[in-house]
Amino acid sequence: MSTPTLLDPRRRHLLGALGAGTLAPWATLSLAAAGAAGPNRFVFVILRGGLDGLSSVPAVGDADFASARGALAQFASAPLALDGTFALHPNLAQLHAMYGRGELAVVHAVGLPYRDRSHFDAQQVLESGGVRPYEIASGWLGRLLGTKDARGAKGLALNTAVPLVLRGPGAVDTWAPSALPDPSAELVARLERLYANDPALATALERAKALHLDSAMAAEPGNGMSHGMAGNATTPNAGRPGGFVVLAQRAAEFLAQPDGPQVAVLEVSGWDTHANQANPNGPLANNLRQLDAGLAALRDGLSASGTWARTVVVVATEFGREVAINGTLGTDHGTGGAAFVMGGAVKGGRVVADWPGLAKKNRYDGRDLRTTTDLRAVLKGVLGEHLKVAARTLNTEVFPGSEAVAPLTLLRT
Amino acid sequence: MPLRSFTGDHGMSSASVTSAIAAHRFGLGEASLAALPADPQAWLLAQIGPADAPRGDGLLGTAAALANVAAEQRARRAARAAPPGSAASAPDLAGFYRETIMADARSRLLTAAGTARPFAERLQLFWANHFTVSQAKGSARGLVGAFERDAIRPNIAGNFETLLWASTTHPAMLRYLDNTQSAGPHSRAVAREARRAARMDEGPRVSGLNENLAREVLELHTLGADSARGAHPVYTQADVTAFAAVLTGWRVPLRDERVDLSQPFDPAWHEPGAKTLLGEVYPEGPDALRLVIHDLARHPATARFLATKLARHFVADEPPPALVDRLAAAYRRGNGDLALVYRELIASPEAWQPQPAKLKTPEEFVLSSARLLRLDAHAAERGDGGGIGWAQGINALGQRIQAAPSPAGWSDRADDWLGPDAVWKRLEWSTRIANRFGGRIDARQLAAQSLGPLLGADTRTQIDRAADGPQALALLLMAPEFQRR
Repeated sequence: MSTPTLLDPRRRHLLGALGAGTLAPWATLSLAAAGAAGPNRFVFVILRGGLDGLSSVPAVGDADFASARGALAQFASAPLALDGTFALHPNLAQLHAMYGRGELAVVHAVGLPYRDRSHFDAQQVLESGGVRPYEIASGWLGRLLGTKDARGAKGLALNTAVPLVLRGPGAVDTWAPSALPDPSAELVARLERLYANDPALATALERAKALHLDSAMAAEPGNGMSHGMAGNATTPNAGRPGGFVVLAQRAAEFLAQPDGPQVAVLEVSGWDTHANQANPNGPLANNLRQLDAGLAALRDGLSASGTWARTVVVVATEFGREVAINGTLGTDHGTGGAAFVMGGAVKGGRVVADWPGLAKKNRYDGRDLRTTTDLRAVLKGVLGEHLKVAARTLNTEVFPGSEAVAPLTLLRT
Repeated sequence: MPLRSFTGDHGMSSASVTSAIAAHRFGLGEASLAALPADPQAWLLAQIGPADAPRGDGLLGTAAALANVAAEQRARRAARAAPPGSAASAPDLAGFYRETIMADARSRLLTAAGTARPFAERLQLFWANHFTVSQAKGSARGLVGAFERDAIRPNIAGNFETLLWASTTHPAMLRYLDNTQSAGPHSRAVAREARRAARMDEGPRVSGLNENLAREVLELHTLGADSARGAHPVYTQADVTAFAAVLTGWRVPLRDERVDLSQPFDPAWHEPGAKTLLGEVYPEGPDALRLVIHDLARHPATARFLATKLARHFVADEPPPALVDRLAAAYRRGNGDLALVYRELIASPEAWQPQPAKLKTPEEFVLSSARLLRLDAHAAERGDGGGIGWAQGINALGQRIQAAPSPAGWSDRADDWLGPDAVWKRLEWSTRIANRFGGRIDARQLAAQSLGPLLGADTRTQIDRAADGPQALALLLMAPEFQRR
């Protein structure tokens, strides 16, 4: 945004904070400033494999929907209506309820600046925040955590490894369930000496130790950490069905901590539905059911502590899929798709879309839902409004070269 | 090549840095460097060839594994036909592939843990990952072990074209990447299915192409994703679609027991007419795939892509460009002869720098631990890893055996394995192994014998000062010298 007006909420916030005698602009960021209500929370959920936006959010009111989609226009039960044009997949019932409560905004025909159809390149762009694959080696959230704007903010990956999106100079923890016993504190201390000359291993060990051994916070009663970080609640293998629900519950426990991470990333894979996509017991139906349950668990977990009101969750995928059904009752890789923005702070109950239509002439390359909204507009809107990241930081460090991508207004003002 | 002799404090007479690098970086780790021949490079060169015969019991060949899948599908069809509510309508198929999957994983680990040709075995693991077929997808379940044994193991040191052909046309790959369901839009099979569907008043189950295999062969197996980028891409969406048309008909009809595994091609599913791919015109029919595979294997982009991946695996996450150039040149010189590329790698000074640049993946870490502790076949068979099996151990460290999350396979970069939780889980696992074995092993001696001159003074001191045997062993397993290679 080049010319913010006086009505721009970010601008207003900045002026107010300066008036209160704050020393530097970045100190106004709620990431860094722990106000009475506690700092805001941001959760990014990556759906790996290419969520079919037209199955999850069918454009049932589009005149070309039924003919374009063939067998994929049929659902085991009626899609859940959102407005005159769009509906949700019947397995997204809890998201539908959030929509009804005004906590969920659906963004459609949304996508990346990358328009080719490789999973791996598209995920690299999705997570790096670049325009072309591999032009940036770190992640946009990782860079955000490393900016002055985010002083003190911590990131958490609900996974054994740090996903690219969180990689950068900032502090990132990872957590995943384990069935193995904890090592002794003495062994850890000796190992720390062993890693004196291996910074990468030393850093990883130091952060892991903070999560597992130095968990005085987790041991305190009444802090909501009923399962404890060091307790290693034995739910092995997050990849199994139900795994996302467990991870979402744990994410909520971490995020609800007053000193917990401000930013968390969850990942769900298995969206690459080349075949039998409409099967009511197939992978897509099951994955959507699990996604719905997990996001509801996240909401429930954050609501008890009041954190949900200060939370925004963005659910996104690397690309949508081809509009037409392919030869095997599935869909091949496409470009534009759907994303979800939810949370107590979201101005929901609406579908945000500059709808291009499904007629063949309106499709990208004659095959894909045309991307009319840049996902970065969604993310910049949320990061700017919710985490109060300055426009300049967004345009130079988080999403370099995105000046022309105007942030969307997605939150309650 | 930097060589220095070393005299250890713990019974190690002498071993060269070269031996230690050959054992740990090119191989899968050794309990004692004394077992290596005097010329480590000759030892590696002598290993270039097909991978060892797989160890273990209960292993199915491709035909038997497919028959197994066919039996499972018959059981499911019978269940659907049975009266609802009857016992026959709900057969217990949840564990149908359990024995096969466990036998496959056990064999993979046993073979790697016990082989005397660990360089060849590392190459087999590399290529099995390059041509990922994963149990994570139902259509490949029960077939991954057979794929590795029949398509990869015999072909790791021949011409890449042979390996690519074996992988692309193996029933496990055809099923994993959906080609078994892909049909030419103008094929007889599609016309037949349209008539059947009209008769039954329902939609056709198959009506045309599925691009999955075509795209991944180009992007992940041959030309590489880089080739599709930039102002002058080597391949485009049109090439993917054309290649998918070439691939139609390559399928394994499980209901037909007469299926010919040597050429699983059904002309009724094939798209008629010639196809244009990468500027070349290919004829209708099964011969086109042979020609396309040949041309892809000879493509300079393939040479560069494979050279980069090999250099990344053996030398550094960001491999030296000069090394990549030389490996790619060797590949082109030999028209895809992989043995020539391996020889070039072994002759490259970049591969022999003493400072280890590579972090072991969980599977490499567990395999090298098994070799360090000389855990024999029997121990691995019992799942004797201190209460958890080796396979479960690797799974717990985040790398489910033969079940990579996507066709790209497992990452070969340290960043992807260095999350705090990942390192913590390695420590937990090491603690468990050390508690089990540390009481009867002298970790100080083992460290010197296994790592030789690579064992740093600081690590030796820490192991010397350990409180007890288990702690000493845990420190050895977690030492940077053992975590890296």
